[in-house]
Amino acid sequence: MPAPLYQLVYYSRNAVSRDGAGFEAEVASILAASRRNNEAAGVTGTLLFNAGVFAQVLEGPLDAVEATFERIQQDDRHGDVSLLALEPIAQRSFSGWAMGFVGRSAENTARFAEVGLSSGFDPAALGGQKVHAILRDLTVEEEAAAA
Amino acid sequence: MSVHPLPNSDGRGRAAPGSDAVLDALPHPVVGFDWDGEVIFANASARDCFGERIVGSDFADLFPNGSDPFKQLAAAGRVLGLVSNAQTRFRGLFGAMAAGGFVLSLIAEEADAAAGAEADELTGMMKRGGLALRLDAALADLAGGGARLAVHCIDLDRFKTVNDTLGHGVGDGLLKKVADRMRAACRKEDCVARIGGDEFVVIQAGVGDRTDAERLAARLVDLIGRTYVLSGHTVNIGASVGVALAEPGQGTRDLLRNGDLALYEAKRAGRGRFRVFEDGMDAALRDRRELEIDLRRALALKQFSLHYQPFIDLQTERTIGFEALIRWDHPVRGRVTPADFIPLAEETGLISKIGEWVLRTACATATTWPDEMSVAVNVSPVQFKSDNLIETIVSALAHSGLPAHRLEIEITEGALLEDTSNVLKTLHALRDLGIRISMDDFGTGYSSLSYLQKFPFNKIKIDRSFVQGADEGGDNEAILKAIAGLGLSLGMAITAEGVETPEQLARIRGEQCTHVQGYFTGRPMPADGIATFLQA
Repeated sequence: MPAPLYQLVYYSRNAVSRDGAGFEAEVASILAASRRNNEAAGVTGTLLFNAGVFAQVLEGPLDAVEATFERIQQDDRHGDVSLLALEPIAQRSFSGWAMGFVGRSAENTARFAEVGLSSGFDPAALGGQKVHAILRDLTVEEEAAAA
Repeated sequence: MSVHPLPNSDGRGRAAPGSDAVLDALPHPVVGFDWDGEVIFANASARDCFGERIVGSDFADLFPNGSDPFKQLAAAGRVLGLVSNAQTRFRGLFGAMAAGGFVLSLIAEEADAAAGAEADELTGMMKRGGLALRLDAALADLAGGGARLAVHCIDLDRFKTVNDTLGHGVGDGLLKKVADRMRAACRKEDCVARIGGDEFVVIQAGVGDRTDAERLAARLVDLIGRTYVLSGHTVNIGASVGVALAEPGQGTRDLLRNGDLALYEAKRAGRGRFRVFEDGMDAALRDRRELEIDLRRALALKQFSLHYQPFIDLQTERTIGFEALIRWDHPVRGRVTPADFIPLAEETGLISKIGEWVLRTACATATTWPDEMSVAVNVSPVQFKSDNLIETIVSALAHSGLPAHRLEIEITEGALLEDTSNVLKTLHALRDLGIRISMDDFGTGYSSLSYLQKFPFNKIKIDRSFVQGADEGGDNEAILKAIAGLGLSLGMAITAEGVETPEQLARIRGEQCTHVQGYFTGRPMPADGIATFLQA
C-alpha cells in the first residue's frame, strides 16, 4: 500500500530582491530547485508568487512533505512563513510541479507568463481549489502592500 | 523568626567559611532539592556540569532517563546510577536535609578525557565538554591577538510542553530539526553544542563587531521560531538567545556566564528574542538572579513567616479579623520587603508555591483565634492563572478545619485584567463555598467601576493613599467619600486602609466606611502576639 498522502499549504513573505533581472533569475532558480528536490521525493504541488509573497501547496507522502517544508523553513528567501493547512488527502490535486505568477501587475504577469507556461502552470486547474482562492487573495493583497 | 546561616550555628569553629564556599570547593557536583525535586542550590562543580541555569530546574530535567519518581529515589538510601541530560554517567547518593528537602552528591563514573570528543547522540552536536575545550582554545587564540568571537546561549521556549503533549518521540524529532536549523544559520567555522535537554550554545567565530553577533542572534531567533511540521503535527516553539562577545583575557566560564545573563534578560523581556550582554547589565541581573536563587530556597529553609494586621468593625469597635502579611527574613539580606520579592516570585511562578504556603499557614493559625475571627489572605493574579487555586484553597480549609466563611480572599484589579471570564468563574466558585472576596488596593490601578458590577465583592479596601491624602481635604477626600458611598449602595463593606492618626480615623468614620485597618488600630504582629493584643 502506498504511503498516505498529505497536503501542506503555506505562504511566506518573498525576500527575493525585486529588481528586474535579479528577481527573474531567483524565480527561475527556485523553480529549478523545486523540481529537482521535490519530484524525486514524490512531492508535487504549485508555487504562486509575486513581488510580495510566495504561496505554495505541497502534496506527497508525509515524510517527504515535511522534509520539503523544513528545507523551505531554512531558506532565507522565505520570511514569516505561515502554515495554512496540513491534512491528509485522498488524491493529489497537482500531479506535477507547477509555478505561476499571480498578481495584478500587468507588467509582471507578462514577464512571468513564460515561466508559468514552461512549468505547466494551469490557472484553470487551480480554479476549483478552495486553497487557491485563499492564496490568490493573500498574494494579491500582499503584492498591493509591497508595491 | 530568624534563621541562622548554616555554618557556626552549632557554635563550633570560628571565622569558618560560608557553606557556599565549602560546597564550591568540592571537586564533585552537589545539588540540593526541595521535597518535589526542584533544584534549590547547586555548588560550582554542579553548575559546571549542568549549567548556570540549574537552580529551578527539576530532577527529571537533569536526569531525564529514569522512570522512578523523585521521592522514591531520594529516599532509596543507596548509591544510584544516574545518567545526566548531557549523557554523563554518575554515581549519586541522596541525603535528607534537616531544613527540608534532599541533597544529592554526584561522582562522575568515567574520566572526562574522552568526553571532549564525544558527540550528542541525538543531534550529533558536541556536548558541554567539547564546548569548553573549543572555547578554551578560541579564547587563548583571542588573547594572543586572534579573531574575536561571540557565544550565543540558546534556550528553547515551550519545548517542555511539546514533549509533554506530543511525546518524547516528537520531542526528539523536534530537537533534530532545531539542530539542523542552527547549523543552517551558522557558518562552517562556527560551532554548535547541545549542553542540556533544550539548551544550546553557538560559538560564533570571526566576529568583527557587535552587529555581526546581533545578525546571527536574530537569525537564530527567526529560524528556530519558524513553524515545524513533525509526524503530521504542527509545532511552534521559540528561542531565547543571550549573546556575549569575548574580551581578550576572558575565561570560558566568565564568557558563558555573561551569555547566560543576557539569556536571562532575553527571557525576562518576554522570550522569543535575543539580548546582548552589556556591562552594568551584569550587576543588576546578578542581583536579581541571586535574589531568585535565594527566593527558591526560602520556602524549604523556612525563611518566610506571616504577620497579622487586625481590622476593626467601626460599629462594634471590635477586632473581627486579621490580614495575613508575608515576611521574608533572610540570614544575610535581613528582612526583604514583599515589594522587593513578590514581583520576582510572580515572574518566576514561585508565587504559586509561596501562595499555597501562605494560605495553609494562615488558615491553620486562624483556627486558634476566638470569636469566629476571620483571616484575609492576598492571592496574586498569577495564582488565578494556575488550574488548582480552588483545590489549594479547599485543601487548606480542610486540613486546618477552618470554616470557609472565616476566610477572606483579597484580590487586586490585576487579577481581573486578563482572562476575566475564567477569573470570575473561579471567584464565583469560591463565593459559593462560603469564602468572602475582597477587592484590595481600590483606587490605585484602573479602578474600573465595571469590576464592581461584574462581581459581588463582599468588601472593598480603599487604598491608603486616599486615606492619608485626605488630610489635606480636596480631591482625595472627595474620592474617599465617593468610594464609600458606592460601597454602601452596592451593599459592599468598605475598609479604609493605612489609618495612622485619630484624625484619619474620625474622618473615615464620618465617610461611612465600615471597617478600618492601619497602624493606628493595630500594627502587623507575629501569630504569637495576637492573644496579648486581643486582651489589651
